Order: sequence, then C-alpha cells, then structure tokens
Amino acid sequence: MNYTGFISCILTMVEVELRRLRHDPIEIFTRAIQPVLWVIVFGSVMAKVRAFPGVGDYVTFIAPGVIMQSATFIALAYGIMLVFEREAGLLKRLLTVPISRVAIVLGRSLAGGIRASTQYIIVLIAAIIVGAKINLNPLGLFIGWLTIIYVAMGFTGLSILIASTLKTRERFMGIIGAISMPLFFASNALYPVDIMPEFIKIIALGNPLTYTVNILRKILIHGDYDILVDLFALTVFNAISIMAAFKCFSKIIE
Amino acid sequence: MILEAIITNNVVKIYSGGVKALDGVSLTTEEGSSHALLGPNGAGKTTLIRIITTQIKPTSGSIKVLGFDVISQGSRVRELIGYVPQEMSLWTELSGFENMLIYSKLYGIPSAQRKDIIEELLEFMELRDTANRLVKTYSGGMIRRLEIAIALMRKPRVLILDEPTIGLDPRARSLVWSKLLSFKKEHDMTIFFATHYMDEAERYADKVTLLNRGKVIIEDSPVRLKEIVGGNSITIKLHNSRDRDYIVESLKNSEFKITILDEKSLSFSVNNISRDLPRIIEAIYKLGVIVEGVELGEKTLDDVFIALTGMRVEETPGRLREVLSTRRMIRRGG
Ligand SMILES: Nc1ncnc2c1ncn2[C@@H]1O[C@H](COP(=O)(O)OP(=O)(O)O)[C@@H](O)[C@H]1O
Ligand SMILES: [Mg+2]
Repeated sequence: MNYTGFISCILTMVEVELRRLRHDPIEIFTRAIQPVLWVIVFGSVMAKVRAFPGVGDYVTFIAPGVIMQSATFIALAYGIMLVFEREAGLLKRLLTVPISRVAIVLGRSLAGGIRASTQYIIVLIAAIIVGAKINLNPLGLFIGWLTIIYVAMGFTGLSILIASTLKTRERFMGIIGAISMPLFFASNALYPVDIMPEFIKIIALGNPLTYTVNILRKILIHGDYDILVDLFALTVFNAISIMAAFKCFSKIIE
Repeated sequence: MILEAIITNNVVKIYSGGVKALDGVSLTTEEGSSHALLGPNGAGKTTLIRIITTQIKPTSGSIKVLGFDVISQGSRVRELIGYVPQEMSLWTELSGFENMLIYSKLYGIPSAQRKDIIEELLEFMELRDTANRLVKTYSGGMIRRLEIAIALMRKPRVLILDEPTIGLDPRARSLVWSKLLSFKKEHDMTIFFATHYMDEAERYADKVTLLNRGKVIIEDSPVRLKEIVGGNSITIKLHNSRDRDYIVESLKNSEFKITILDEKSLSFSVNNISRDLPRIIEAIYKLGVIVEGVELGEKTLDDVFIALTGMRVEETPGRLREVLSTRRMIRRGG
C-alpha cells in the first residue's frame, strides 16, 4: 500500500463518521446537553460560594475543563462502536480489505477525535451566556478546536485498545464508567492542581486531561500561546495509546 | 491447465478456549468453479472461511489462495478475494450508495471510475431505486445483495461467501443466487461458499465438501454424492397412524430399508424404482392397510449426510438461536 492510499484510508474512515453525523445531526446537540448543564448549574453555583480562591471567575475557569470532560467521555465511549461492528461482521470484512491496519486505527482515532469535538462551540456559547469571559480570537478558537481533536484522538485510541481487549459491551461499558469520572476529578478541570492532596496531584500530573485543559485555558482565556510543553506531553500520550491500540486491534476479531 | 483457487492442507484450528473447530481439513477448489462447504451449525465452516480470508491463523496446516500462502502472503491474498461474512458488514446509518462509495475508496478504485462502477453494480443487483435509503431500512435480501455488490466492486478472482442466504426467504435466496451466478459466468470468477442449506449446495455448487465436527466427511460433485446413497425414495402416506408401526414390524425382514418420517408417513429407500414400487405397494396391500398417497422423491444430500454420519444437517440444535441472532444483527445493524 502506498502513501496516498494510506492517507486516503484515514480520510475515508473520517468520512464515514462525518456522513453518520450528517444523517443524525441532532446527536451533536444531545451530546452538548450534559456539559452545558455542568457549566450553567455547577459553574454558577460554585461561583457563588467562591470555593476555590485564586481561580478568578469560576465559570470562566471551568468552561475549558467541562468541554474537555465531555470530549474525553465521547472519545472513550467510541470503542463501543467497534464492539458493535465486531458483533456484526463489519470488522471482519474491513480487515480483509487490502488496506493498512495502521491506517484503519489512525483513521478511526481521528474520526473519534472529530466526533468528540462537535459540542465545543455549543458549550462555549452556553458558558459565555452565563458570564464566562472567553477570548474570541478566531485563530485561538481554531487552535483550541484542533487541540480537542488531537487529545480526543489519543483517548479514542485508548478506547479502541479497551474494546479490542475486552470485546463485550458489558465489560467495555464497565471499564469506561470506572475510569471516566476519576479521570475528570483527578485533573485540573474543576479546580487547580495546587489545592489537591499530594497523591492526587501526582495522578493529575500524569493525566493528559490536565495538559489539554492547560492549553485551552491559556488560549481561550488568556490568549497565551506558550503551549509547547503541554503539547509535548499530549503527543507522548497519543503516541503510546495509538500504538497500543494498533497492537491490539487485530485481536479484536479473534 | 486447471488452477487451484483454494487449497487447504490438513488445517487444524484450536481456539484459545480449547475448542477444536477444525480437525485436519484438506480441500481443493478449482478455479472458475462453485464450491460449497456444507455442514451443520458448529461444523467449523466459518472458522475455515475466516482462516482462508486471512482473519485468523490456523493452529497448523497450510492454505493457499491462487498460489499465495494466506499466512505469509496475507496482503496478496486480500488483493484477490472478495468476502461477505455470515453476519452483516454494512454501516446501517449510511445509505446503500454511501456504503459502496466508502468501500470503493478503501479498495482504492480511482475516483474517475467510482461512480460508474457503483451505478453499474447497483443496477445489476436491482438496488438502484433504494440506493439513497439508509441501510437500516433494507430487507435482509437487499442487505445481502448490497454486501455482494461491494465484494464484486473490484472484480475478485475468488468470491468467498459465508452463509450467503441465511435467514432469507426462498424468493430472496433465488434472486441472490441468480445474480451471483450470472456475475460468475461473465467474469469467470470462483465462488466458495459455506451453507447449511442442502438444496443450496445441491443446486448451486459444482463440488460439495461435507464438513462435520471439523472434519471433511466427503468431497465430490452433488450428483456423485447422491449416487453414494443411490436410487430414489418412496414416501407412503397412511390413513391411520397405528398402521405405521404395524408395517415397519411386518416388513422388517424384507429387502426394503424403511425410515419413519412422521405419525402417518414412511419412507422406503429403493435402488430400482420401476421394480420396487409395485412390490412395496403389493406388500402393503396384503397387510390390509389403507394408503392415502404415494410420493416419489430423489435422494437429497441430507440422505448422504445421514448415511455417513447418522444425523441430519438441518436439525442440529442451536440452529434456531443462530438464525435469530443473525436476523437481529441485520435489523439492529453495526
Ligand atoms: N472465536 C471463537 N472462540 C472460541 N470458539 C469458537 C469461536 N468461533 C467459533 N468457535 C467454536 O468453533 C466451532 C465451529 O464454529 P464455526 O466455525 O462458527 O461453525 P459453523 O460456521 O460451521 O457454524 C463451534 O464449536 C464454535 O462454538
Ligand atoms: Mg458459520
């Protein structure tokens, strides 16, 4: 398989996702409900009690965190689609088509990343309505969107890995349920890392969500583009999770 | 020279759970032929097909497709085959046309040719009018035809089908097969298919391999296989059910081989129908039994299977469950 074939396979996997969304656009809105409620209800209540001094306006503070939480959850749930596709014969057939399996995994990860990013603008608008001060520089908004897709790709990879290993819906949903909330709470999405107990701090520093939320806060709130270190951390996470996903992917149909 | 499309040599597959699904399967498919793998549920048909299509590796044994080894030259094999799995292999939230478009891109068909190839196949498969509907609204027969259309897009040398008509009604089945055979004829394609339907193997295959519990029982043309059990069957329908056992008891020392079919009917297995039919009628007449009707039938592959294994192909337990779950899958989609 040549280079153009490789790229075209990745793009075709993304195309499947986009066509799916086009047939069912309501999904974008239903997916935005939960994060919008987080910002509006949780954000405004917590802003009132001023629980975390030093974070400035609380709704502004958590908007990026909540966006990332919902993106991460959607990305982590992406694997359920592969479990369904495995139960049907789709994956069996996909793996007998003469295309690179690396391209399939990369393509599905990118597709999951894009799927996970679709509620971004809706949640931002909701946050602004309840008083969040977001920097509306178009370039910043765009880089923010790319960042979400990028890290959600890594989480989708993780999800593909889990789906390939566990194979059944029940086990898959069990694990995803178990890891997604702790991932959210052991990050800087809702409160700054400084106030955490020591051992949670360590977890938070190993948590890719922390770095993504860092990037989004810098860009969307402060207009600060000093994000290389955070990007590097995310790249390490993505490389590991997607490589591991590829290693296990062929096992999914066994 | 006749080339071999598929050769398997002593293929064994033991799944990680310890199930021995294939126990030394050797078979040969000539290029350009239609070859049926016939066997009851759990015989190992799907396992063999998944090995041939490079999805899983055998525990031991070797397999060649058009001369290429499926283990060491898997990507070459994938270039040459078309495959339709037993379950459903479409994106149900996309339309029929979109499914074909996506697969045409994955197959690397140049964009200039895509539309023509897709239109032509949709037309051929009688799916043109429904091409823009979402696949989840399709009937089972339409789904199968679309899946086959996708497999034919690249004109594969060998088309491998796993239970192509499972769960379809007779009309949908015969439509699927008429399309398959006309494409096969036009493009000189080899067809290798698994089935548990006797008549499907008998009607559409040049060669049938009977598989049971991971072992090949016999491999030959349907005609020759039927010669093994020989002759015809005569079914006698009785007026009274109590006469059934009376006949069996009275004729048990005669030359006839009798099988009980149900309450009121018996089947006689005969080699020479013009000689044996009058004798059977005469024997029953002498017993003073009222006969409601007589039916003459040819032996089927089922008789071959019974003769060789002592069990029927279609009456294996577990069958129903699998059909239902396949149908559910087709409805629910992927
Ligand atoms: N992935 C698997 N893991 C373990 N056992 C399996 C797997 N797939 C099939 N089997 C077992 O292997 C045997 C043959 O199955 P299969 O090849 O599906 O038969 P068929 O297609 O003829 O119905 C059955 O006993 C089945 O339960
Ligand atoms: Mg099967």
